[in-house]
Amino acid sequence: MPDPAPPGSEATASDTASEFLDTTITRPRTGTAVLEVEGEVDTLTAPRFSSAVDELMSSHEPTLVVDLSGVTFLASSGLAVLIQAAHRAEERSARLRLVAATRAVRRPLEITGTDQLFDMHENVHDATGGDD
Amino acid sequence: MSDLDGPSPAETLDGASTVEVRTTASAALIPTIRAVASDLAARADFDLDAISDLRMAVDEACATLVDVAAPSSTLQCTFLVRSERIEVRAVVQAGHPDAEVSTDTFGWRVLQTLADDVAVSHEPGTGGAGPTVGIRLDKRSGDLPR
Repeated sequence: MPDPAPPGSEATASDTASEFLDTTITRPRTGTAVLEVEGEVDTLTAPRFSSAVDELMSSHEPTLVVDLSGVTFLASSGLAVLIQAAHRAEERSARLRLVAATRAVRRPLEITGTDQLFDMHENVHDATGGDD
Repeated sequence: MSDLDGPSPAETLDGASTVEVRTTASAALIPTIRAVASDLAARADFDLDAISDLRMAVDEACATLVDVAAPSSTLQCTFLVRSERIEVRAVVQAGHPDAEVSTDTFGWRVLQTLADDVAVSHEPGTGGAGPTVGIRLDKRSGDLPR
């Protein structure tokens, strides 16, 4: 199925952007969905990040995790996507779990206070409450 | 084009070394500019949080300007590396005479949080040169009480 061009970005820009951001959703156990993100989240890749987060949010697992371990840059456009997702989770009385291991992700989240909206974890294992 | 010219020699003589990056005003080239920002901050002995903040602030400023830039125009980003701080001046040719940087956005609030000082400038353009929009920001090398 062809990828629809994300809203607000030119086709050429999103083609380039896709090289710099990889997103994968997995279900490591019943009731848990994990969105794994790798690359740089900036104005160019934010639409792609946004659709991946939307996909995660529309899954019905009670535990939703966004794993940012592989993210090497996080701009305000990426923070905006996360904040929106946190509010959506709140509407259904859930809290998103974020995995932020590196400074590239932790610093932007902390300096803007965005980390307060999430359950923060150092690694996926902790975030999935896992014993695997 | 005089508005896009770099700082005058008098300005560069006050102890700052200057690095200037010019790109097409396109979001696809901002990663290159923020890499330069991050490299300069690391070489200037910024602490790790300050390096991260400058990289993100420069990204934010450039992304904001690219949004209001004229098609196929130039983004010019000048870094003045001073003792214990870096001053950044980013300028684009504006797409419209009344193009403005909106300062009531989430992105602008983030930029204000990241930088120690930030300001917008709008130049109407003179002679043959079109209007320009610029953002100037200042980042200190380490955390000081604000």
